[in-house]
Amino acid sequence: MKDKLITSETKKKYTLGTFCVQILMSIVGLFFLIPIFMVFSYSFKTKLELYIGNPLALPKSPSWANYVTAFQKLNMGTTFFNTLFYTAVSVVILALFSGATAWAIARNRSKFFKFSYFYFIVGILIPYQALFLPIYIMGYTLHLTNTYYGIILMYIATGMSFGVFLMTSFMNTIPIEIEEAARIDGCSIYQTYFRIVLPLIKPAMATLVIMQSFTIWNDYLMASLFASDNNLQTLTVNLQMLFSQETNDYTTAMAAIVISFVPICILFIALQKYFIKGMTVGAVKG
Amino acid sequence: MRKRSLKLQSQAQYVSLVLPGMILFTVGVIIPMFMGLRYSFTSWDGFTKNLPWNGLDNYIKILHDPDVLNAWWFTIKFTFWNTIIQNVFALLLAVAIDGAIKGKKLYRTIFFIPCLISPVVAGFIWMRLYGTVLPALNGILKTNINFMLFGSGSTVLKGFLIANNWQWIGYWMLIYIAALQSIPGDLYEAARVDGASSILQFFKITIPMLAPAFTICIVGITVGSLKVYDLLVASTGGGPGRASNSIIYLTYNNAINDRQYGYGSAMSTSLIVVLLIVAAVQISWLRKKEVQI
Repeated sequence: MKDKLITSETKKKYTLGTFCVQILMSIVGLFFLIPIFMVFSYSFKTKLELYIGNPLALPKSPSWANYVTAFQKLNMGTTFFNTLFYTAVSVVILALFSGATAWAIARNRSKFFKFSYFYFIVGILIPYQALFLPIYIMGYTLHLTNTYYGIILMYIATGMSFGVFLMTSFMNTIPIEIEEAARIDGCSIYQTYFRIVLPLIKPAMATLVIMQSFTIWNDYLMASLFASDNNLQTLTVNLQMLFSQETNDYTTAMAAIVISFVPICILFIALQKYFIKGMTVGAVKG
Repeated sequence: MRKRSLKLQSQAQYVSLVLPGMILFTVGVIIPMFMGLRYSFTSWDGFTKNLPWNGLDNYIKILHDPDVLNAWWFTIKFTFWNTIIQNVFALLLAVAIDGAIKGKKLYRTIFFIPCLISPVVAGFIWMRLYGTVLPALNGILKTNINFMLFGSGSTVLKGFLIANNWQWIGYWMLIYIAALQSIPGDLYEAARVDGASSILQFFKITIPMLAPAFTICIVGITVGSLKVYDLLVASTGGGPGRASNSIIYLTYNNAINDRQYGYGSAMSTSLIVVLLIVAAVQISWLRKKEVQI
């Protein structure tokens, strides 16, 4: 991705037209940044500035006070750990299951595996939000609501469709010969999966893990249904509670937004290569 | 004989690799889908053990319930405009970034950043922007633009379209960028040799070659917009009045808050039916276009 961008840059000429496009893009870029800038600006303002200052002005005497308040109000230790825990456990198991399923589907021709593929793919067009009510009833019936494993199981279940789709499209790229050699040497299917296949599909795994991490980290509906207890709440649910409690003092809310946004932003910048690859696999393969 | 049993054994092992995911998917997605269908024919309140069957009553009620029709109307308008605006702008930005401009990576990151924010948070940010920050611009510019888009039922859709497109244009832009980069350069070279203008090249080469990306983006944006819920939670809460109730928002209120599980299930089921029909029509139509090329 990075390399392609650079090569295409050297090929094309920079003309007057390009300069106009550059100006236009910068204006659009500014529009995109205004809301983000506003969040940062407000997170450093004092409560007094909310009422008397110009809303567009920068904070007069920037202070970390809002961050301290937000940190306490968000119940940061617990919610941050919960969000991280649900996200990490769900995506790791999801990646292992999707990888195994996709591999089995790719290596077998019998009806069961063909059926399995379509079975999973049906779900791709149905976002879980459209099913939230029966999913909630199911969770309630099985006593999965307000447990940490309930929400994790539901994140895995609702992520399987996309996982299998993504993994299957990667499977064709890995050579079958190594697996066959391993099988001849007496490796079982499970050993082959864990020792041979998993290392080969690591890039695809990374892609899936990162894409699902963002989805789960930012998720609201499932978290609000399955983890509403105080000690089970996630960052997004807690943020929403903070928004609805503090309708007048939103400097704290803005600081809280920054706190929840920074980790995910760092993660994205570090791993954007994989993220972009995952998003585009469908587009390029058609 | 031994070989055959070995093969069967390995088949069974392969099946066992599929099963854990399949069981979870069945319990968490497929069974709930059928449960929802079943509840939709009852007037269940979530408490009672038996399910009071009432046939098609819920569906008939949906067709006559002004709140549901209103929520559908909002959701459909929201989806329609999103599909158009997001596709057009994502493609324009992608073409610009794929061109000769400097600082491609910077632009790409700037446009993508809003996607990393939770939609709940994005809704809140835009509510504050419309309510407090942007109106201050009128004082400076000596203008009288109405920035309070969430304040009235006639502008609330516009407000959400701006917020939603701000958040997701960058996402679809990345898909278009990747698709643009996968177009072989010699196609353009051949066209240049034949003397085709760059506008002609765009419509005769770029657009047709992007057909698979169009399919992904159009279907993706439609499905993503029909499920709108998070964005409304911390901004208007479905208001003012009921002006920005989406279908999922209304289902949530009816089912979880008012405990009309049967009626809510009927609303859920009708949304899934609409989702599948719309996606099927779009995919078959767009695939046909792909083949023609």
